[in-house]
Amino acid sequence: MAAPLCVEVEFGGGAELLFDGVKKHQVTLPEQEGPWDIRNLLVWIKKNLLKERPELFIQGESVRPGILVLINDADWELLGELDYQLQDQDSILFISTLHGG
Amino acid sequence: MCQAGEDYAGLAHREPPPGPRPGREQKCVKCAEGQPVVVIRAGDAFCRDCFKAFYVHKFRAMLGKNRLIFPGEKVLLAWSGGPSSSSMVWQVLEGLSQDSAKRLRFVPGVIYVDEGAACGQSLKDRGKTLAEVKLILQNTGFPWHVVTLEEVFSLPPSVLCSASQEPAGTEEAYKAAVDSFLQQHRVLGVEGCASPAQGEDQPHPSPSQEPPGVAGSPAAAQTEALSRLFTSIKTLTAKEELLQMLRTHLIVHVARTHGYRKVMTGESCTRLAIKLMTNLALGRGAFLAWDTGFSDERHGDVVLVRPMRDHTLKEVAFYNHLFGVPSVFTPAIETKAPEKASIHRLMEAFILRLQTVFPSTVSTVYRTSEKLVKAPREGCATGPSGHNCLLCMCALDIDTADSATAFGAQSSSHVSQMLPASTKMPTPPCCGAGEGQAQSYHRAVGRSGDVQACIIEQLCYSCRVNMKDLPSLDPLPPYVLAEAQLRSQR
Amino acid sequence: MPAPTCSSCHAARAALRRPRSGQALCGSCFCAAFEAEVLHTVLAGRLLPPGAVVAVGASGGKDSTVLAHVLRELTPRLGITLHLVAVDEGIGGYRDAALEAVSSQAARWELPLTIVAYADLFGGWTMDAVARSTAGSGRSRSCCTFCGVLRRRALEEGARLVGATHIVTGHNADDMAETVLMNFLRGDTGRLARGGVLGSGGEGCALPRCRPLQFASQKEVVLYAHFRRLRYFSEECVYAPEAFRGHARDLLKQLEAARPSTVLDLVHSAERLALAPAARPPPPGTCSRCGALASHTLCQACALLDGLNRGLPRLAIGKGRRVLQAQPPLPGNRSQATSDPVAPRGPCTCEQSRDGATLCRDGGGQAGAPCALQSDLSATE
Repeated sequence: MAAPLCVEVEFGGGAELLFDGVKKHQVTLPEQEGPWDIRNLLVWIKKNLLKERPELFIQGESVRPGILVLINDADWELLGELDYQLQDQDSILFISTLHGG
Repeated sequence: MCQAGEDYAGLAHREPPPGPRPGREQKCVKCAEGQPVVVIRAGDAFCRDCFKAFYVHKFRAMLGKNRLIFPGEKVLLAWSGGPSSSSMVWQVLEGLSQDSAKRLRFVPGVIYVDEGAACGQSLKDRGKTLAEVKLILQNTGFPWHVVTLEEVFSLPPSVLCSASQEPAGTEEAYKAAVDSFLQQHRVLGVEGCASPAQGEDQPHPSPSQEPPGVAGSPAAAQTEALSRLFTSIKTLTAKEELLQMLRTHLIVHVARTHGYRKVMTGESCTRLAIKLMTNLALGRGAFLAWDTGFSDERHGDVVLVRPMRDHTLKEVAFYNHLFGVPSVFTPAIETKAPEKASIHRLMEAFILRLQTVFPSTVSTVYRTSEKLVKAPREGCATGPSGHNCLLCMCALDIDTADSATAFGAQSSSHVSQMLPASTKMPTPPCCGAGEGQAQSYHRAVGRSGDVQACIIEQLCYSCRVNMKDLPSLDPLPPYVLAEAQLRSQR
Repeated sequence: MPAPTCSSCHAARAALRRPRSGQALCGSCFCAAFEAEVLHTVLAGRLLPPGAVVAVGASGGKDSTVLAHVLRELTPRLGITLHLVAVDEGIGGYRDAALEAVSSQAARWELPLTIVAYADLFGGWTMDAVARSTAGSGRSRSCCTFCGVLRRRALEEGARLVGATHIVTGHNADDMAETVLMNFLRGDTGRLARGGVLGSGGEGCALPRCRPLQFASQKEVVLYAHFRRLRYFSEECVYAPEAFRGHARDLLKQLEAARPSTVLDLVHSAERLALAPAARPPPPGTCSRCGALASHTLCQACALLDGLNRGLPRLAIGKGRRVLQAQPPLPGNRSQATSDPVAPRGPCTCEQSRDGATLCRDGGGQAGAPCALQSDLSATE
């Protein structure tokens, strides 16, 4: 059993528009069977934070291509992407590159 | 007022198909008599006979228009077992048959490359496929060559030298060849003419026509080397590209050693549109006319020709179905891969999907490709002539003025990362190894780094990007490594 | 998986892997490399000579924000002066917020800012008015066509107004890559032949234009803005982006996921495409009305405005264009824009076209004035 986690989830670059325009979210992820990783964080976000048009944020089990993910200010590609295991007090930033010029 | 659909000059939205008209049965648009069986282009319904005439005419028109295949010339048909190349072999077979009014006048042979080792097939499965393949080949009556991809490990470096090109293909030369062929035909009579062809009157090729050793299994060591090479490649995109290049080298080699001057490949118009867009995304913008045009002279004495380039995949599928053209299904390198696994797969899925919304997608891309030329773009410097890419054999499209390459999209990561990293890195002080050992280690790294660097230098932009997906270039077949060193010493 | 250390400074933790080279860099090494590459692009391409007065097309969005910031950093090295020029398209609820973003950027960076409005330049036509006119009601896909053409013209006018010698825009590598994909899918050989060039030299009366971010992918632009803590305006325009570009963009994002260097590989391809001489567009002539570069009798901006003013807004785009071109019957003027031979320049539908051309050509120094004729025509609405 993994203990509950407090993490900061932030949206930018226009991605916040799918979340009622709210950029920063302090969230507590509940206790669950296995460890929390980005894969199940996305499922949780879709269920709990996402307000509209989920396909513009999540496609398949990952984020829509063109949305950058930074974990503690580093590109998630360096950290195992969906498999990254969340730690308490992590900050996860999603930046859309798809809006505006 | 006019509304949607005008924004895209070349791409009209699909019109709803005209429904069946009550009280009047639809007839073939060509002969106005036959029962239509296939709808081609925008709603043109053809009956079986008219469709066949249309299909055959396209094939022959493509050859006739380009006047590249000389009468009496030996032509190697590259057959993968798939629908388009099977249809091509069938077209040639029909074109050579006695009752055909306008007989094709070249002398065909067929080559099949068994790529099972690169695709991870078991020997047993490969054997099963080969049995099917050989059965079909025997029925064609053409001389045939079945080779395994493993044979790239015994190719000579000279494969990568573009043999000097003869000024073939001019109008005069073509006419002269036709005349002399007809002359010969009159003198020798039908039997005499057929004899150099070997295939036509012989229902089965003699075993001697197969290159030695091909009928049996390839050496286990080579199979292992090939599968090691392909499993080491990090991306499906690079695997696919390397497979295509090795396959081409092998086919060109077989053509050369058996005196074939032309190789026909069966890419359909649909396939070429996909290939064009794929190669665009792979950084091959300078070579699109070589990669997708009717003829491809990059190998010099052996010219690749694409006579099926006017046929759509749909037409091919219908023709093969209606006229019982035999084909063999072989699992390709990407067959089971997910759509997102490679540039090739993504582009294929994208074009086919777009085609369902905008039915003119493929033809628009194809028509655009016709406007491309093989000469380099004005103002784009190329290396001195004779400096061609070691792998794809196109002119090197890299120079210092090239802005896209300036920041190392294709930067030889082997050189810029491996080599300086290993030289810059201070020897770890805690390392227990003796001085001599460390030095020999560094020399070894340096040597293999040198080879890597020397190979990378001889590659075009796109091949450099591909080679970045190989952790090491050492598992490449020896002829590539040897030719790279030969060139760097020249 | 712990993040590797930066392969440049070997000290800090890497924050990203560069799509083009696979190099893992920390935030500050990445930003330094990014700036160095823009500098290289400008110097190697001789895009902005020392002493140039550069009008930066500023929209408040990420690309122009990053462009303005980087060029400002590079100003001492390049010896240029910067002037932000923003265009007010007149899109209610969208542009106001974007312009606010530009204003605050200008204030923070202490750069002069000039705003030019469609309404002033084009005889009262705002984008909202154009949209109403093209679609009757609601929003039409063709909006982007109008807006693109008019914005180009507006930026040109704005740049003249501030006495600029050069114009820079924030187009990045993704824009170029999308464009080359689209041009193939649409069979636009004319654009393919022109594509891939870093900028235009400024033929005719047009100012030289260039795109210093042409080799920076969107991903890197966004990351640069992030690490430099640049604030930009990121809302989507209320007029949805052109549908077809959407297809190309989705494809590009997927290709990039399969191979990170794809964006730059496409730019390389675009630079190297060789088209048959027959497929190349004719050398541009001048618009018979305003004197700007034009491949037809009228330049695109004048043709669009003409259509709008005549109440036939679709006239100048798509098939409508043929009607427009055919109006003064020209022998041998083929319907396809791209296959036109050097278009025989028939008389403009407007009798005073010559005057208009003169006015515009000489109007370089005149404050923001489009050709006088154009305003006249617009006034007849």
